[in-house]
Amino acid sequence: MASTTELDRVAMVVLRYLRRPFFALVLVYAVGIIGMALIPGRDADGNPEYMSLFHAFYFLTYTATTTGFGEIPSAFTNEQRLWAIFCLYTGVFAWFYAIGSTIRLLQNPHFTHALNERNFARTVRRISEPFFIICGFGDTGSLLARGLSDHKFNAVVIDADTERIKALALRDYTVRMPGLCADASVPKYLVDAGVKQPNCKAVVVLNSDEDINLKIAVMSRYLNPGIQIVCRSTSLRHEEHLRELGDVTVIDPFEIFGQLLSMAIVSPKLHNLNSWLVRAHGVKLGKALQVPKGQWILCGYGRMGHWFRKYMAEQGIYPSIIDPDVDLDENVGSEKIIRAYADRKTLKESGIEDAVGIVAGTDSDSGNLSILLSTEALNPEAFTIVRQNDHDNQIAFDAANVDLVLQSSLTTARRILKYLISPLIQTLIDYLHENDEELTDELVTRLQNTVGDEVQHLWRVNVCHREASAAADLLDQNMQLTLADILKDPTGRSKVLACVPLMMERDGECVMLPGDGEQIRVGDEIVFCGTERSERLLTASLNNPYTLTYLVSGVYPPRGYFFNWLDRQLNPSRPANGPPNVSAGTGPATPA
Amino acid sequence: MNLERVIFGFFILLALTLTFVFVVGEIDNHQHHSVWILTIAILVNMTTTGLKLGDRTQVGALLLAASLVADLLLISARVFWIIAEPEGAAGPNPEDMVTIVSLSAGALLANIISSVILIGDTLMSRR
Repeated sequence: MASTTELDRVAMVVLRYLRRPFFALVLVYAVGIIGMALIPGRDADGNPEYMSLFHAFYFLTYTATTTGFGEIPSAFTNEQRLWAIFCLYTGVFAWFYAIGSTIRLLQNPHFTHALNERNFARTVRRISEPFFIICGFGDTGSLLARGLSDHKFNAVVIDADTERIKALALRDYTVRMPGLCADASVPKYLVDAGVKQPNCKAVVVLNSDEDINLKIAVMSRYLNPGIQIVCRSTSLRHEEHLRELGDVTVIDPFEIFGQLLSMAIVSPKLHNLNSWLVRAHGVKLGKALQVPKGQWILCGYGRMGHWFRKYMAEQGIYPSIIDPDVDLDENVGSEKIIRAYADRKTLKESGIEDAVGIVAGTDSDSGNLSILLSTEALNPEAFTIVRQNDHDNQIAFDAANVDLVLQSSLTTARRILKYLISPLIQTLIDYLHENDEELTDELVTRLQNTVGDEVQHLWRVNVCHREASAAADLLDQNMQLTLADILKDPTGRSKVLACVPLMMERDGECVMLPGDGEQIRVGDEIVFCGTERSERLLTASLNNPYTLTYLVSGVYPPRGYFFNWLDRQLNPSRPANGPPNVSAGTGPATPA
Repeated sequence: MNLERVIFGFFILLALTLTFVFVVGEIDNHQHHSVWILTIAILVNMTTTGLKLGDRTQVGALLLAASLVADLLLISARVFWIIAEPEGAAGPNPEDMVTIVSLSAGALLANIISSVILIGDTLMSRR
C-alpha cells in the first residue's frame, strides 16, 4: 500500500517536470517530419522525389540529436536544406530543454527523497533473514549497528538527520544496512522499514526526544502487535506509558550506567566477567579490577548519579556527593553533600585525601577530565572511574591515567545488543549479582580453564529435531542424556570440549549454571559459552547419531545394516542392548 | 583398529582399483579391456553399495549416492557390451568400445569421490 503511494508520488513529480519538455519535443518533431515529407526532393537522375514519413523521422532523429549522417538517400535541394536548418535548430533546442528539465528533476529534493524511500522500502522487503529496526542513529545507534554487524545480524536504520544517514552509507558493515532519512514516528516510514514483516525481530528506539520515542513505540505496537520493542527512556512518565504497551523493554541509559558503575565497585569480578562476555575492548577474563572498599566521592548527582547512589546504597555504601545543583535538604543518607562545582577546593573539602576512590560522573567531558587532573594532584592513589559522554572524545580519555572509563552510549549499546542477541545472559549476570562472589569465581575459573585466551563465543542450542536431530531421537527412545555426555570431545571422549553451559531453559524456567550431571530433555534451550570450534563440534555431535552414541557409551556403533547384523552375530551376548544402532538401543546408557 | 572399518575400506578401495584396472588401456581397443574384470568390478561395486546401506549420517548418504552412480554406469557399460558384441567376433568394434570405456571412466570418477569422502571422514574423526 505504502509502496503504491510512493510510486504515485514519484510518477507525479516526474510527470509534472517532464510534461512540457515532452510536448515541446513532440511538437518540434511533428512539424519537422511533416515539413520534410511535403518538400519535394530530387533523386540521382534529377526526377522529383518525396521523402517518406519514415525517412523524414530518420532524418530528424540524426539531425535533432546533432549526430548528422549527411544528406541521405540523395543530395538535398535548396528548399530541403532550408527546412533542414529550421529542423536542426528547433530540434537541438527542444532536446536541450528536455535534458535540462530531467537534470533539474533529478536535483529536486522531493524527487530524491521519494526515490530514496522507494528504494529503501524495496531493499527492506527483500531482506530474508531476521532483522532489527534501529530508530535513531546517534552514538548508541551507530555502536549498536556496529555490534549487530559484527554478529552478522541485519538491521535497518531510520533517522531524521540527513548527515547521519549519509554517514551510515559510508560505514563498512559486514551486512547491508539500509538507511532512510525520515521521521520514524510517521507510521508510513515504519512500514517502509519493515515493521510488519514477519522476519522483523524488534524495533529499537534510541532517539533523544522522549515524546518521539513514545510515539514510535505506540505506532510500532499498533502496526505489529507481536513485535518486540526496545525503547530508550529516562523519564518515569514516559516509562509508564511504554510499559502499558506490553512487551516493551525500557532501556534507561542512566540506570544501566549506574548499575555497571556500582557493579564495578561492589563486585569487580562480575564486572570483569560481564565485560568479557560482551567482548569489551582489552578485557581479560580473571583480570578483575582491584577496587578498594571505603569512602567514595561522587561528582555529579544528576539522573545517573541518582541511579548510582541507589545501587550503591543497596550494598551499604554511601558516597560523598559533589554537585552544583544538588538539593541539600534531600535526605539521601550520604556522608557529605557539597553543593558546588567539583574544583580542587571542593574536592579537598569533600575529603579526597582520605577517599579510596572517586567517580567523575558529570555530564561534561571537560569537567570530568579536570576532576581527574585534580584527583591526580590531591590523591594519586585514589581509584578513578570516569564517565565519558561523547564518543568523539575517546582519544582524550584513552590518554588520561584512569582506572575505568565508562561510556554511556557504549554501555547502552552493549546492553541492547546483549538483549537482542542473547537475552538470557543478562538473567545470568543478575543471578550472579544476587549470589555470593564464590559462584562468580567458580564460573570464571571454569571459563578460564576451558576457553582460555581464545575469543569467546555465545550460542544457544534448542534440543529439538531441527537443531539437534540425533539428541532428540535418542531422548525420544527414553535414553538418558546428560550435559557431561554432550560436552565430551568427539575426537576422543576422555577430553572435554572448550565450552561451558551457562544456563538451561526448560518450560520457561531457567536453571543457572547447570551441573554436568544435569539431564537433557527434548525442548530444552541451553546457552553455551566457548570457542567457535567447540560450537562446530558440539553441533556436529548433537546431529550425528553415531558420534552421540560414542559419546554416551564409549563404543562406536556399527554403521549400516550389514555391519549391524554382523555385530549381532559376533556379539550375541548383547543383542539389542549394545549401542549398535541408536534406534535399536534401549535402557539407560551409563556414561563411563 | 576396528574390523568394521577394515572391511568397509577394503571394499571401497577394491571397487575403485578394479574400475581403474578395467579403464586403463587404449580407449578403442577391446583387447586392452577384459569383460571379466568389468563383471567382477560390478559385483564388488554392488557389494560396496550394500555395505553402505543404513548409514544415517550425511556422509553416509553421500557415499551411498556415489556408489549408486558407479553401479549405474558400470551396469550400463556391461549391457552395452552385450548389445555391441557382434556374433562370433572377439569383442565390440572400436566405436562401441569407446562408449563402454567412457562409461566405466565415469564410474571410476564416482569411486574416486567415494574414497576421498571415506578418507576425509576418517581423518576428521581423528581416533
